[in-house]
Amino acid sequence: MKHIAWMSFLVSALASLAMPTAAADMTGRDVFDHYCGACHGTDDGPGTMQLRRTRGKDQALLTERTNLSADYIEYVVRHGLRAMPPFVPSDLTEAKLKALLAFLAK
Amino acid sequence: MAEPLPPGVNAERMADALERLRKIVGRDWVFSGEKVASYDDPYTIPNDPGRYKAHAAVAPASTEQVQEIVKVANEFRIPLWTVSRGKNFAYGGAAPVLSGSIVLDLSRMNRILEVNEKFGYALIEPGVSYFDLYEYVQSRGLKLWLDVPDPGWGSVVGNALDHGVGYTPYGDHFGVQCGMEVVLANGEVVRTGMGAMPGNNTWQLFKYGFGPYVDGMFSQSNFGIVTKMGIWLMPEPPGYRPYLITFPRAEDIEQVVEIVRPLRLNNVIQNAATIRSLVLDAALFATKSQYYSGEGPIPDTVAKQIMADQEIGMWNFCGALYGPPPITDALWTAIRDSFATIRGVKFYFPEDRKRRPDILIHRADTMRGIPKLTEFGFLNWNGGGGHVGFSPVSPTTGKDAIKQFRMVSGRVREYGFDYMGLMAVGFRELHHVTVIVFDQTNPKERQKLNEVFQLLVREAAAEGYGEYRTHIHYMDTIAGTYSWNNNALLKMHQTIKDALDPNGILSPGKSGIWPKRLREAKKV
Repeated sequence: MKHIAWMSFLVSALASLAMPTAAADMTGRDVFDHYCGACHGTDDGPGTMQLRRTRGKDQALLTERTNLSADYIEYVVRHGLRAMPPFVPSDLTEAKLKALLAFLAK
Repeated sequence: MAEPLPPGVNAERMADALERLRKIVGRDWVFSGEKVASYDDPYTIPNDPGRYKAHAAVAPASTEQVQEIVKVANEFRIPLWTVSRGKNFAYGGAAPVLSGSIVLDLSRMNRILEVNEKFGYALIEPGVSYFDLYEYVQSRGLKLWLDVPDPGWGSVVGNALDHGVGYTPYGDHFGVQCGMEVVLANGEVVRTGMGAMPGNNTWQLFKYGFGPYVDGMFSQSNFGIVTKMGIWLMPEPPGYRPYLITFPRAEDIEQVVEIVRPLRLNNVIQNAATIRSLVLDAALFATKSQYYSGEGPIPDTVAKQIMADQEIGMWNFCGALYGPPPITDALWTAIRDSFATIRGVKFYFPEDRKRRPDILIHRADTMRGIPKLTEFGFLNWNGGGGHVGFSPVSPTTGKDAIKQFRMVSGRVREYGFDYMGLMAVGFRELHHVTVIVFDQTNPKERQKLNEVFQLLVREAAAEGYGEYRTHIHYMDTIAGTYSWNNNALLKMHQTIKDALDPNGILSPGKSGIWPKRLREAKKV
């Protein structure tokens, strides 16, 4: 039963990864879910797990962080950081990045 | 550092060419200056910062725009490095072999043109990711399954073109490709197979059409730009049962593979199952520092601790059964009885796995075509983030499997890396993929990685094992190992290249194939 519940959660999470990608249709939350969610959106995503190990439990989930500046997020998105590769501007466009920064940066 | 220019092109000519490209695609879709950094190889290998750097990138939205871009590239003799989505990480990402190239980024060409449930296929553009196609199928309730590689954000077209593999019965991605649209270097658009016949309705149903079958010529190549592709999708089976079989000793791989071969050849093992090594599986959800703080690869005592802690073996066979339960029950009986002869073997279904996260629970999604990024977890094993794949092909024999395992694991451990390998089971061959995870921020470690990789290629080739796919840094090296009869195959590739692309504008250096003008420059 636990397995079924876990699967349902996963399918739901994945559905959010592939929502419409036209910038005008996407909120900052949409951009985060689509581009960042698979690694940073859940407790067991590879990005969340690595941040938990390297920066501590309270720094693991990006959406709960209060110390992310817009400049820092933009740099990491465009240049990558260690295991995380960069996102090209043809896909994660400037307009989407702006929405993401408004959602995530504090 | 200023972006490099390609051979024979000065800054003024490049600026003129970029302006022409802006008129074709719009100013927002030509990227230069600091915006090009996103196209760098994030896990670069050489310490020379000038290697594999693009000058700019251009992102067209249509086949017609690709045709126009190709005309400009011919006029200015500027090389275009084509990527579908640029997510071919561990093999160079979006970065070009030839510095100064303009990346032709097809990410915006992301239309799903048709998904046909009746016949089980999709016709898509190269910018369509596995996530995109999965969502399209799910949101419409279509009874079709994808076959996905480990990272779901990559291009369906690009992965097939690079001979990528997945884990359902449709795991040979180029094998389930059917029909292409290709822009040639002269700007002409070609449709292959049945697509060449006006009004034909079997373009995605029958591969071969009439005359020579040319689709393979556009895979791992620089002979054209694929702008549409058909891909077969698996009808949703009436039953699905994933399983995990673990084996406790490294040397078990010999017996495991001997058992696998007849089961796979007779389709008792139905899917492109994988035999995965201990550290590869452990690294998905744990880091090395949780188990070991010493230098170099983990010792055997630590390996045993990981096995006990994560309930996995030195080798872990992840497979799945597809079909009506009476059939899958019978297949499982044959599989279980075959492997039961190995001492210490353990069998698991998902309901037997209590730990979370867990390897079988994760692979159960992948083997039913759910795209994910979970496998990126192994990049955290030592914290350095870099990785590269060494991927020789082996016959499905125990003798070859253990020989390859000993060759590769011995060398990578000698150089201080943990062995993180898997053997993906094809019908008659194993793709032995070893991921070498390295600290990309450490120049000495990158140098060490390069040394061991070159050694692995040489030693594998000496034993007759060739890589099926490689990082941009090793394309010339690997092409050089396919040298039978005085490099006859490479010479044929060059002849085709020169005929189709006389100005050498399409992806110079891809798979070791260089156009004439750059071949001659390389000899100087």
